[in-house]
Amino acid sequence: MKHESVETNAGLLIVLTLAVISVGGLVEIVPLFYIDDTVEEVDGVRPYTPLEQRGRDLYIQEGCYACHSQMVRPFRDEMLRYGNYSLAAESQYDYPFQWGSKRTGPDLARVGGKYSNEWQVQHLIDPQSLVPESIMPGYPWLAENPLDMSDIEDRMLALRRVGVPYSLTEEEYERNVEKYGEEHARMFDINRAEESLVEQAQAENFDGNSATITEMDAMVAYLQVLGTMVDFSEYDDGHFAEFR
Amino acid sequence: MSQAATTAGAAPAASVASTEQYNYAIVKKFAIAAVLWGVFGMGAGVWIASQLAWPFLNFDIAQITFGRFRPVHTTAVIFGFGGNALFATSYYVVQRTCHTRLWNDSLATFTFYGWNLALILGVISYMAGITQGREYAEFNWQIDLIILVTWVVYFLVFTMTLLRRNQPHIYVANWFFMSFILATALLHIFNNIEVPVGLFHPDSYPMFSGVQDAMRQWWYGHNAVGFFLTAAFLGMMYYFVPKQAGRPIYSYKLSIIHFWALIFLYMWVGAHHLHWTALPDWVSTLAATFSILLLLPSWGGMINGIMTLSGAWDKLRTDPIMLFLITALAFYGMSTFEGPMMSLKSVNALSHYTDWTVGHVHSGALGWVAMITFGSLYHLIPRLWNVNLFSLKLVYVHFFLATVGIVLYITAMWVAGIGQGLMLRAFDQYGNLAYTFTESVVFLHQPYVVRAIGGGLFLTGMVIMAFNIFMTVRSGIKAEARARREAIEAEARTA
Amino acid sequence: MMSFWEWIQDMGNSKTLALILFMSTFIGVVIYLFASPRRSRKFESYRYIPLDDEDSRREPTSRRDKTESDEQ
Repeated sequence: MKHESVETNAGLLIVLTLAVISVGGLVEIVPLFYIDDTVEEVDGVRPYTPLEQRGRDLYIQEGCYACHSQMVRPFRDEMLRYGNYSLAAESQYDYPFQWGSKRTGPDLARVGGKYSNEWQVQHLIDPQSLVPESIMPGYPWLAENPLDMSDIEDRMLALRRVGVPYSLTEEEYERNVEKYGEEHARMFDINRAEESLVEQAQAENFDGNSATITEMDAMVAYLQVLGTMVDFSEYDDGHFAEFR
Repeated sequence: MSQAATTAGAAPAASVASTEQYNYAIVKKFAIAAVLWGVFGMGAGVWIASQLAWPFLNFDIAQITFGRFRPVHTTAVIFGFGGNALFATSYYVVQRTCHTRLWNDSLATFTFYGWNLALILGVISYMAGITQGREYAEFNWQIDLIILVTWVVYFLVFTMTLLRRNQPHIYVANWFFMSFILATALLHIFNNIEVPVGLFHPDSYPMFSGVQDAMRQWWYGHNAVGFFLTAAFLGMMYYFVPKQAGRPIYSYKLSIIHFWALIFLYMWVGAHHLHWTALPDWVSTLAATFSILLLLPSWGGMINGIMTLSGAWDKLRTDPIMLFLITALAFYGMSTFEGPMMSLKSVNALSHYTDWTVGHVHSGALGWVAMITFGSLYHLIPRLWNVNLFSLKLVYVHFFLATVGIVLYITAMWVAGIGQGLMLRAFDQYGNLAYTFTESVVFLHQPYVVRAIGGGLFLTGMVIMAFNIFMTVRSGIKAEARARREAIEAEARTA
Repeated sequence: MMSFWEWIQDMGNSKTLALILFMSTFIGVVIYLFASPRRSRKFESYRYIPLDDEDSRREPTSRRDKTESDEQ
């Protein structure tokens, strides 16, 4: 074939270009769905509860990912600063992933449990009141806006469709009870989604305001669960190294 | 070819016929839109840069906080300024090099309104907190559909125009534009496979999670750079550099080799954004390898462009438009060297997550993309309206401001990025971390101030350009009206 | 023949295979472009396309030999 027929034939140019640009993506992306090692099996990783998921939605809405990563790399300084390096399984239920690309603020992959709820609330309302040098914007409206819960069922249904094991049928519920225990399985039941959300928000009262369920409740619930699902004390040092 | 060698701003050969022979109306629309989005997008950039230097500027107003406003900046400059400029130049170049009128005026006009509607809706929705949370693809799913339709029509208009050409050979600039259209379609579709929460609900959830989603996003993210911000602008370069220089491109064979090599290699390198993460090691090693290889075709393009001026370097002394074009190529060469270096895992360990990455992006975006666009628009706009450029002096001023702005910007970011990277990995004599994260934030303040100043200078240059273009277009419209009036009077006299 | 199949199917050899494939394609393209002086000249004649679109469009461009008329 002559190269001339490529430059003189628009159709051929299109087909060849498409072929050439497809190779790289196919070779690198497709295997990730088939190789078992890509995402290792780890105990403790579970879907988010309705309240945590709503917090996650808000995290994305406010664009937190523009300044905070959620991916601890396997370096000594990062492990000292943030904790064990992140595993693929830990973002298994992250639709979309929030690994981030820039740390204008610290990594948040393991921020859960590091600070009290009160600290998180105060810090989100006015970061400089706790960390004077901080350049983070304040998010006072989170504490004022009541959380929109009306679409929680639709959201969970959409997430179920992409692969999160939220249960719709009795059978699915039983399966979740077996895998995650009854307490969590109830949270993952779409039929009582709003109920579960209110239940968790009232039980833990993240924002310290028991009168209304605010966006702050959801946001803090999400931040406090980040990186806490896997109990690394149960594993030997280097257990996960084979997955690297 | 003497008339082709007209220096900057000299009146292009007057011809009423060209407006009938070619569809210039659509090129004019996109060119003006590019300038307006440029002013807005770079303004947004200076604003968020200032927020990082002086955080009180967030004012506790949700719609303008850094997190919501950053996608406004990236969308406005990449898709608003860059995108509209690419529509304008690709429509212009394909007509001029194929010697034929653009296919279907109304569909071409549709791409203008479709594209800019999507952008405006995007900006409003980010500020309202509606986003997919995927960098450079924050448009929610309904806007994604508008973009998809617009893009398919763009592909149709471009391809049909190629098919109607009166010139047997398809000029290399058009290959680059074609690869950009095809790759962008592929990237846009695959990266935006989402399940909507509801038919009238703005939110959606992506088809994939975690590792797979990360790989998909950065395959998209880097190829948006590779095809939207590189291949397409190389198409622009392959037309406007020879045109402004009045000399043919240095080597056509080199352009063939580097075209195929570039589009093949780019698609492999996205995973270098995910070094040391939970992504399997083999993928990021592969991506790093191809990133190094990518240096060769990138420099092939740079050499081809710069060497076009070989033997006519004196043009750089007299022609500020040429200065823009050649400086753009120099920055292209610089950032395509820096990129492969940063994709080495050991360098990446330090540079990733820091401002070095931001600096690298901007040496490409301001130095290459914006500079080549400025040069092309300064060449294009007087020809579209058939007038002289209002002021060549202002082009010099613009060039000076832009260059100083970029240098301040990237130097500040090198200091910030490398400095923070070193601080965060430093240990004291007892093996504890030497600095807290907050201490590194304090260190960043001065570089952030310098960066905001650099960005401000660049923005000032952009505003001066907008003024220059405005005056040029106004005189063009006036001249046209006068010509028409005189024609009518002449007709009345003879009648 | 069988051993060749086995070699191909072993994923460990994919790097070598890819290298051979890509490198030979690349070298093929380069040889194709530079081997024949006549073809080489023809490609270089396309450089003049952008300079050939002045508004006063000369008649049938598609047939004209651009190299000679433009290279003054």
